[in-house]
Amino acid sequence: MKFSILREDLLPALQTVNGVVERRQTLPILSNLLLNARQDCISLTASDMEVELTMETENAVDSIGEVTLPARKLLDICRALPDEARINVNIVGDRVLLTSGKSRFTLSTLPAQEYPLIEINENIADFKISQSNLKALLDRTAFAMAQQDVRYYLNGLLFELEGDRLRAVATDGHRLALCDTVVKSDQQTLIQIIIPRKGVMELLRLLHEGDDDILVQISKNHIRIKLGLIQFTSKLIDGKFPDYVKVIPAEAENYVIADKELLRQSLTRASILSNEKYKGVRIILEKDKLRALTHNPEQEEAEEEIEVSYSGEELEIGFNVSYLLDALSHIKTEKVQITMIDPSSSCLILPDGPSKTKYVVMPMRL
Amino acid sequence: MENRKIVHIDMDAFFASVEQRDKPEYRAMPVIVGGAPDKRGVVAACSYEARKYGIRSAMSSARASRLCPQAIFLRPRFEAYRQVSADIQTIFKTFTHLVEPLSLDEAYLDVSACTQYGGSATRIAEAIKSMIKQATDLTASAGVSYNKFLAKIASDMDKPDGLYVITPAQGQAFIENLAIGKFYGIGKATEAKMQALGIHNGADLKRWKQQDLTARFGKAGNYYYDIARGIDQRPVINTRLRKSLGSETTFENDLADKDDMLASLQELAQKVLRGLQAKQLLARTVTIKVKYEDFALVTRSITLEQPFNDMRTLLPILPQLLNKTDVAQRRVRLLGVSVSNLMKDDESNGYDQIALL
Repeated sequence: MKFSILREDLLPALQTVNGVVERRQTLPILSNLLLNARQDCISLTASDMEVELTMETENAVDSIGEVTLPARKLLDICRALPDEARINVNIVGDRVLLTSGKSRFTLSTLPAQEYPLIEINENIADFKISQSNLKALLDRTAFAMAQQDVRYYLNGLLFELEGDRLRAVATDGHRLALCDTVVKSDQQTLIQIIIPRKGVMELLRLLHEGDDDILVQISKNHIRIKLGLIQFTSKLIDGKFPDYVKVIPAEAENYVIADKELLRQSLTRASILSNEKYKGVRIILEKDKLRALTHNPEQEEAEEEIEVSYSGEELEIGFNVSYLLDALSHIKTEKVQITMIDPSSSCLILPDGPSKTKYVVMPMRL
Repeated sequence: MENRKIVHIDMDAFFASVEQRDKPEYRAMPVIVGGAPDKRGVVAACSYEARKYGIRSAMSSARASRLCPQAIFLRPRFEAYRQVSADIQTIFKTFTHLVEPLSLDEAYLDVSACTQYGGSATRIAEAIKSMIKQATDLTASAGVSYNKFLAKIASDMDKPDGLYVITPAQGQAFIENLAIGKFYGIGKATEAKMQALGIHNGADLKRWKQQDLTARFGKAGNYYYDIARGIDQRPVINTRLRKSLGSETTFENDLADKDDMLASLQELAQKVLRGLQAKQLLARTVTIKVKYEDFALVTRSITLEQPFNDMRTLLPILPQLLNKTDVAQRRVRLLGVSVSNLMKDDESNGYDQIALL
């Protein structure tokens, strides 16, 4: 393997794939990158066996070949080289020789055949979606995923494909986020997959605004997405996502309409004096008035009041204020519609007008 | 903060000294308190006579026995040590309520506001030492300085029965000349790393920029940066909330069977949870510790959203954590369970997040 490449051509690929490399690896080869040089194309792959990222770069290749080499060190070297540096890469024995100007680096390697590439069997479904739609879908839901829940199937994002509707659902068992979008697909039967948290976060990092259609392929155990020169692959969580439909309350007649930003700001202020660990806030609804009360173990107190539109009965319900703020921060409309029923029933938060996004938050007994 | 007066008191060879006090026949002899040498225990404490043979605490008892075959091995008697500990705590309290015990035999005292002995921290330390001697017939070493870091190092300078003072005027020069391995908070691994970077003493450490230290050592880099300048703002805290609670066990024979390991983990977890409940605490993080037959040590932990102190929560987590280790391939010498991220149970009273699913 031998080629020469400009630092600026190699660095984007290195930076893109390096995020997947785990610091603490049990398998030594996983702290390496797979470098593949073929006709006019160089590709870099990183993996933690759960998420795999490959990025290609067009570049002339003098002689083809593949090898694995230390990911972090390669990135650090390329970063530290001067702008516009030309980097020559060459395999010498079981080492990779990297030269640039008067700099020389000899890096250790491991055989490319030992690199555990994810192998995909048969696709069970595929669809096309615009990049910005996929980004919006993840943006609006991913925050509600569980972090390290014992119910491992909650540590990820549900994708549900039926006809041309793709639905994303995330829940940590206390609150839930749901968003629908339209895709190009001829999938008839309903398909449910759970993408693990790390895969979702990695994908969010890769997605940008853009109208370009991207191809999403689903196999029994994997999801693979082609994003221009990048190929993203993630394992799926093998488990059954809970029946989320039954926990989404119906829209009641007496809902609150509030100015989203006004409400978000007053809850943000109130949250300062809520209990640091439990984040409790007391929401009191009266005719056209919403009040938020918090206090902490030091007996400090906050009270906020805003004008809203509400004509239902008087209600007093406790919530984790962070859950309410998370939902409000992901709503893009000027007004927000909130349905509260009683202190032990879930609360529904919706953007104003026809919408495909829903947030559900369960109260807290205070 | 730099005009504080901190005293660090550390009993000399504590467990071993108590044994020698109560069993006069062992005085002036190498005494080791800890596990028996034919079992798999470790040295908990050893007398100064034993230290001459190179024996140190935490060394395996078997190794200690090889270093000094005539050493006398005694099982620890924690009741006796606790009694002495209570006695010295009472003495501390006659000077200040700002006492922070680090273990049974070690404590920091903030004597800045003391009026006895003309407010002289050195004379207070002398008085504490002689009161301890009188009450317990044991010796202690004292370190006196203007922060915890230096007071702790000072108590170690003149052991046993020592008294060492580092004044604010001496602080800088003292730190600059201090070998890097002597710094409290710099263990063997960090010391080796620093030596390799050419940091051999305080003066070398002081030449490093804060950002370079944090780049190399993470968050600890900030601490190293400060202590190189004699800065340690940590107050003496008398009511410290426990940070973690744990229990561990070393097996007579290494375990190879996963079910045996799980059973042991469950037993340890029971013990830890009983401790949590007795102290009216809740935890959010649980950690298991696995030491393989080759002494390699790994920990695996998980942090839950909701605080817990019940077995129902913990039970399904133990196998999950164990599966993240190499126990399928490697035999296990020691297992441990600990919980951290603790909070008072009453703080959670009245906050009950209702489940959606």
